[in-house]
Amino acid sequence: MPKTLPAARVAVGASLVLLFLLSLGIGVDDLSIRSAAVDSAALQLLLVSRLPRTLAAILVGAGLAIAGLVMQILVRNRFVEPTTTGTDQSAALGVLAVTILFPAASIATKTVVAASAALAGTSAFLAMAHRLPPTQPFLIPLFGLIFGGVVGAAVTFIAWQFDLLQFVDVWTKGEFSGVLRGRYEMLWLVAAAVVFAWWIADRLTIASMGRDISTGLGLNYQRIVQLGLVMIAIISALGVVVVGMIPFVGLVVPNLVSRLMGDNLRAALPWVAATGSTLVLGCDILGRIIRYPYEIPVGTVLGVVGAGLFLWILFRRTDHG
Amino acid sequence: MKFARKLATMAAALAMVATPALAVEVSTAAGPKTIDKVPQKVAVYDMAAIDTLASIGIKPSGVPEKLFVPELTEANKDAAKIGTLFEPDLEALNELAPDLVVVGGRSSAKAEATAKVAPTIDMTMDGDDLLGQAKERLAAYGEIFGKADEAAAAAGKLDAAVEAARQAVKGKGKALIIMTNGPKITAYGAGSRFGWVHKALDLEPAVANIEASGHGEAVSFEFISKANPDWLLVLDRAAAIGSSDQGAKATLDNELVAGTAAWEKGQVIYLPAADFYIAAGGVNSTQRVLSVIEQAFAKAQ
Repeated sequence: MPKTLPAARVAVGASLVLLFLLSLGIGVDDLSIRSAAVDSAALQLLLVSRLPRTLAAILVGAGLAIAGLVMQILVRNRFVEPTTTGTDQSAALGVLAVTILFPAASIATKTVVAASAALAGTSAFLAMAHRLPPTQPFLIPLFGLIFGGVVGAAVTFIAWQFDLLQFVDVWTKGEFSGVLRGRYEMLWLVAAAVVFAWWIADRLTIASMGRDISTGLGLNYQRIVQLGLVMIAIISALGVVVVGMIPFVGLVVPNLVSRLMGDNLRAALPWVAATGSTLVLGCDILGRIIRYPYEIPVGTVLGVVGAGLFLWILFRRTDHG
Repeated sequence: MKFARKLATMAAALAMVATPALAVEVSTAAGPKTIDKVPQKVAVYDMAAIDTLASIGIKPSGVPEKLFVPELTEANKDAAKIGTLFEPDLEALNELAPDLVVVGGRSSAKAEATAKVAPTIDMTMDGDDLLGQAKERLAAYGEIFGKADEAAAAAGKLDAAVEAARQAVKGKGKALIIMTNGPKITAYGAGSRFGWVHKALDLEPAVANIEASGHGEAVSFEFISKANPDWLLVLDRAAAIGSSDQGAKATLDNELVAGTAAWEKGQVIYLPAADFYIAAGGVNSTQRVLSVIEQAFAKAQ
């Protein structure tokens, strides 16, 4: 095991705690955490706005990172994540369809439809990705980009027809500005999905060795793939419905952690989740500060930060080869 | 064949003699433009323009498929459909063969394309002097169609509506204009596309320095809570484009907005969305907006 490990763990844990406190303290309204204990208005603000937003960022970050990790395992390729392989676009297609057909549908209904659409889209991607020759590792991400692009184009086309383009824009741009008590609680299902991922982690690790080896080791490969798919779909759909799409988290976080910790999934999983939370929370805080008191969507911030991290991973790769 | 053409030329020449050519020069968003004769058939790709033309009794021969504003949809259901607000159907436009095409705002980007089919004027209005521009456009239409008197009368009505709203607003507190788009909100200040409300009515903004970006500033509910406006002027974008998705009321009904003076006193005004957003600057639509504002403020003590 690399010896940088404890240091990295401490760094991630400490920054998550630090960012958590920082996030509670930063907002348009004046609030010091100490005053919350004595001032009921401050406590109210903390409970209604700050805490939900902070928790939402943590949950979404953990979920996206785990979904990216699971997808990378199932596809056996390090360069895919749900936002680039059609999962998020499929979820958006589902929300769009339900908005047009049943405008009065509740958020829960929308989530169910979005999750079903995401599941269908991801299954289609996976089915086709498995037919690609494993000797060409860049074919899968490339195919994913095209597949995601096609589904995304369908979303744009339909939205255009129904004058919903800017409305779709609101979903697709990941943003926490609308998060309040009562408007994010569904994201706790993401936490459940993360726990579930941890529970089946060993089986996923075996599945990452491919169909033949895992079947030889006595694993019901098909079942594990299905479970993984359902999990990715649920996490992506919840993310899209509640806050919108957030790029790069699922791509860079599993890569960063695997470079530090290797591919023992059960050991790495909590750190993937924590690193994802740290990244999203940090970027949301940045988005709140840069143009204070206005907001920059976290999706935009992550587009910049994530691209930088991804390039760093690509260029540093050979050092640790 | 030759004879027929000659006859046609002669007829045209005669017609020109019969209706004296009154070339008028009007100001458009793309600078002054000369119109040679009174257009008989006009195609319009701008809701504000259709609305303003109606105020001087001109009915377009061609309009976009969807007009968003219920009043306009009803009044123009017989007009030829010539594409959409963003995408003119040039074939249909060519078939209609209008004497004049009016574009503006969302359709102004297509002015070059429609100009190849028929003479086109760009009547875009933007910025916080919306009312001044609305009157300028109104006067221009009056000139073009020889309806200067009607235009002057319509301008007078608009002025009266502004004055009535200004009186109602006076001394009733500060306001914040926001737009809801699904679950999220953006704020607009003086100088923005909705800034004319502050400027024309002397309505004091609750937040002084919101930057004047076209699509507003993304804000959190804490922003509204901190601004604590006496009045909240709300535009539901989904309602403006005819989608009945999650309404502005549902978006705003939360613990932070509930703490503002505006919510506590019931001083949240839901503006007529299509009139305010899509047909902004139309003479009739603007009066409908002003009347909603006036009535709401008049009720307050």
